[in-house]
Amino acid sequence: MEELNFEWALLTPEYILVAWAGAIVLLSLFSDRIGKVQLGYLAAAGALVATLVSLIWIDNSTDFAGIIDINDYTTMFRVFFGLIGVFACLASARYVNDRLLHPGEYYALILLAVVGANGMAASREILTAYISLELLSFSLYVLVSFAKFEPRSNEGGLKYMLLGAFSSAIFLYGVGFIYGVTGSTHYAAIGEALSGDTSDISMAMFFGLSLMIGGLGFKVAAVPFHLWTPDAYEGAPLPITAFVAAISKAAGFAFFLKLFTQAFGPLVDDWRYFIAALAVATMVLGNLVAIQQHNIKRLLAYSSIGQVGYLLIGIAALSPEAGSALVLHLVGYVITNVAAFVCVIVFYNWTGKEEIADFAGLAERAPFLALSLTIALFSLSGMPLFAGFVTKFILFQAAAEADLLWLAGVGVTMSFVSLYYYLVIIRQMYVGKPESLGRFPTPWPEYGAIALLIGGVFFVGLYPAPVFELVDDSTASIFTTFVENAGVVSQR
Amino acid sequence: MGMEQAWLIPALPAAAFVVITLVGKYLPRKGDWVAIGAIAASFVLFFFVLADLLDVVDEPGFTGGEKSWEWVSFGDFEIRLGFFTDQITIVMLAVVSFVALMVQIYSVGYMRGDPRYGWYFAVMSLFVAAMLTLVLADNLLLLYAAWEGVGFCSFLLIGFWWEKRAAAEAAKKAFITTRIGDVGLLIGILMLWREAGTFDISEIFEFAEAGGYGATYLTVAVLFLFAGAVGKSGQFPLHVWLPDAMEGPTPVSALIHAATMVVAGVYLVARMLPLFELADPIALNVVTGLGLTTVLISATMGLAATDIKRVIAYSTLNSLGLMMVALGSHSVTAAMLYLFVHAFFKALLFLGAGSVIHATEKQELDELGGLASRMPLTTVTFAVGTLAMIGIVPLAGFWAKDEILHFTEVGQNAGVYGLMLLSVFITSLFMTRLFIRTFLFKSRDPESRKHAHDAEPAMTVPLLILAVLAAISGFVVFSGVGEAMGFPGGFGEFVFLEHAEEFEFNWDIVVLSTVLGAGGMMVGYVFWANDAVPATRMGELFRPVYNVLYNRFYIDHVYQFVIDRVVLTGSSIVSWFDRNIVNDTGVDGSAALALLAGWQLKFTSTGKLPNYALAISSGVIILALVFLIVKA
Repeated sequence: MEELNFEWALLTPEYILVAWAGAIVLLSLFSDRIGKVQLGYLAAAGALVATLVSLIWIDNSTDFAGIIDINDYTTMFRVFFGLIGVFACLASARYVNDRLLHPGEYYALILLAVVGANGMAASREILTAYISLELLSFSLYVLVSFAKFEPRSNEGGLKYMLLGAFSSAIFLYGVGFIYGVTGSTHYAAIGEALSGDTSDISMAMFFGLSLMIGGLGFKVAAVPFHLWTPDAYEGAPLPITAFVAAISKAAGFAFFLKLFTQAFGPLVDDWRYFIAALAVATMVLGNLVAIQQHNIKRLLAYSSIGQVGYLLIGIAALSPEAGSALVLHLVGYVITNVAAFVCVIVFYNWTGKEEIADFAGLAERAPFLALSLTIALFSLSGMPLFAGFVTKFILFQAAAEADLLWLAGVGVTMSFVSLYYYLVIIRQMYVGKPESLGRFPTPWPEYGAIALLIGGVFFVGLYPAPVFELVDDSTASIFTTFVENAGVVSQR
Repeated sequence: MGMEQAWLIPALPAAAFVVITLVGKYLPRKGDWVAIGAIAASFVLFFFVLADLLDVVDEPGFTGGEKSWEWVSFGDFEIRLGFFTDQITIVMLAVVSFVALMVQIYSVGYMRGDPRYGWYFAVMSLFVAAMLTLVLADNLLLLYAAWEGVGFCSFLLIGFWWEKRAAAEAAKKAFITTRIGDVGLLIGILMLWREAGTFDISEIFEFAEAGGYGATYLTVAVLFLFAGAVGKSGQFPLHVWLPDAMEGPTPVSALIHAATMVVAGVYLVARMLPLFELADPIALNVVTGLGLTTVLISATMGLAATDIKRVIAYSTLNSLGLMMVALGSHSVTAAMLYLFVHAFFKALLFLGAGSVIHATEKQELDELGGLASRMPLTTVTFAVGTLAMIGIVPLAGFWAKDEILHFTEVGQNAGVYGLMLLSVFITSLFMTRLFIRTFLFKSRDPESRKHAHDAEPAMTVPLLILAVLAAISGFVVFSGVGEAMGFPGGFGEFVFLEHAEEFEFNWDIVVLSTVLGAGGMMVGYVFWANDAVPATRMGELFRPVYNVLYNRFYIDHVYQFVIDRVVLTGSSIVSWFDRNIVNDTGVDGSAALALLAGWQLKFTSTGKLPNYALAISSGVIILALVFLIVKA
């Protein structure tokens, strides 16, 4: 057994987040001088500090105690999750001030969720990843039900928690099978045990795999494990809906991709079509049901389910290219989706309404907001010029390369369907008659955040090369063992 | 300045879009001069590019000027984007930038006083920029992006007067119908890329010529590409959006029909024709077949349409079908020649119709008539456009149409040729009807005629210029004319794919087409002169036929029916699912009472939570079972 590396400093960003979270709780308890809005900005600053600190480990490749990777993949996701935290705090500031109690706990939980997400991307061992996953999930359960006096929020949170516990049990059951077959919970060891001749692998392995796919499918909201999503999304306070949509998917996929590359990569030809089937079910159901929605939160919930379907294509087509395509689409999707949500949050702060019909005539009352939301929605539907087109295109390409052209075909068709329900919202905003003609006031911090995010949407859409390279380099670090072990990836 | 700087041609209108959108409000005249200035500059730039191209076009082995930049690269994956200039591109550039310039100038008069005047010029600029990018793209990815851009701008422009329900509906219809084709286009592009590993068009050609694609694979791929062209160029069965697209402002129709959007599909097929030729002959037969169908149904539908713009729209469908037939007969030259002259006379017809609508505020043929004396200039130019469309010697349409007929006779069987000749007659018939019913004889609505007059110079000057071009642009087929302008020869010796096609004068076709065209005009005159008694009687005599034509072969109805059925069935399934499994006890607050009174009850008796868990368990169990079956 080689010497374990206990360099505690490697986890500094997480320490910062945890400490900051504690400080915020204490501050909100004992200091009257800090307003609720300022608390939000303070929490955002904490997430930003942790993000910047994590940049210290750029181009590093080491691990902590053999269970946590500190490499470019980790760093990229630390930065990514940290920024999601920053935007979640910024977007919450006004909302929490107006509508929620206990701001200290609220922001502390957001920061803790980021810690959990970091752990999911960084782990190189299933149980560590699982504990991180639970840290993330527990924070989210509480956050979803944070609107204490709102029955919908309580109900959504409770459903999310009960089903989450259920799916965690399923996941752990699967881990048990895998451990039984391979004798380890380390990704690399599992991968090694599974490489070579796979014909004599016990059936228990595949039961374990099914159970784990189920558990992970719940976290990323793949059909048929998605049913909690609309309820939780609709019930949660709006900024938390945005946060859940972004971080639980992103962390789920960071974990999903790493696990299935490093641990189950050698069996890719066995499970590829299962993931592909899930992808098809998820794309089709998510996009078709979205057409029927009248509530903007539910609509975005179903559209995000559809997006999960596209992301699953990246796992089904597993290869270094597909992996980076997946992460890239994840980045593009999260930027765009957060942009859309921040727009909806700003709208909700003013009006307290969230039906699609309420968006009628928004273009006249708040042109910038309507334009930004339009851009975000076009990007989600995959129109050229915007991030959504490029990232989706690369993803479909990766699928085509892995002989899954039909899957890409389904994806293209479903993107076409998705355009329909996005256009419904856009039409409401531009064609509908507003109830009143008053212009909305301008909240500068939120508009600043929107401008940044929309800038990101255009940046990825028009000049994606830097982001591509970054993502590709980072993702490459989890594929090092994959190529050696399996040798199934044909480099073009 | 030269081919290296060709990217500036689309960049200028794109910049105009940005400028007008951002600061247009503060500019004098809301920035219309920015849009016109940009497109005028693009048109001037075009001549530099042309001159540069003419310098090198005679060099052996010349295939086109290219300039590209690396856009994305990671690992061994790289995408380059760039611009490519060759003879086909040049023709398209000429057509697009010139017609766009004319339309923009005309729009100053036509759109005056519109509340969204600035926005109109901004979107028009973006539309033109997208089309120019499409034309210049050296790779399929950029082409696709521009293709979508064109579609999106057309959505904005057709629905420009979105307060009008019909306009909003038409915009949606156009967008959705063309998007159906776009799905095919994207799949086709992915298929081509998958084997060749590149999006670059010339590299794909090389790969295909080296036999890189299997014959069936290539055939399927080009048919997917063609699906995109069918949608964009309004070929049967996706033609239904084009007549409805008339709801947009008339200059928009002119631009869409003459120079942008609809000819994009023709351009795509022309550009990719080497692939079609390498594929199974079925591919080009499909092109011919759909083109011919479009020609025939559009000409017959044009006979029954009553809206002046709609009739012209059918004439566009007709022309697009002709171009597709030409491509199906392996002739890029004939298709591009027709595209070139068509742009002039079609823009002329639309802008003339726009003047009529502007002056009378009527566009039903039943309410027009007798405008010749009130609007002499419009009448004369419109007559030139009509004759050009019919193909009367020596107007532009004559030369182009005869080229297509010639290649059909050579390249297709007698049936196709016969149907093409028939279409010449029907086209002549309905164009004559359009002209007579609009301009000649008694007015059927004297009130509107009273105020009618020729429009201001901003609108009439483009009409005159276009009329001159519609009259003379066909002469480019002669080598003498081409050489006089500095080209290596006539149109056929300049624009070609594999070998130069010198113009030949085929007396038999000339005589046939002239007889048919003139015959159509005479029959049309007899039918629709004065009170159009013979035509009315014919309509009554063949009432069922007339109804079929008037209802556009019921194609729209069938689509509507299918869409209703599919959407209704689909949505009822979906809403059942939604209501019974997700929504009913979802977070609508109806469960709130139970939740507060004793939430345990909810989860044991009424709540759907067990259903959720059931779905998760069954998902896992099904996965496991399938694994069991596959593995055991």
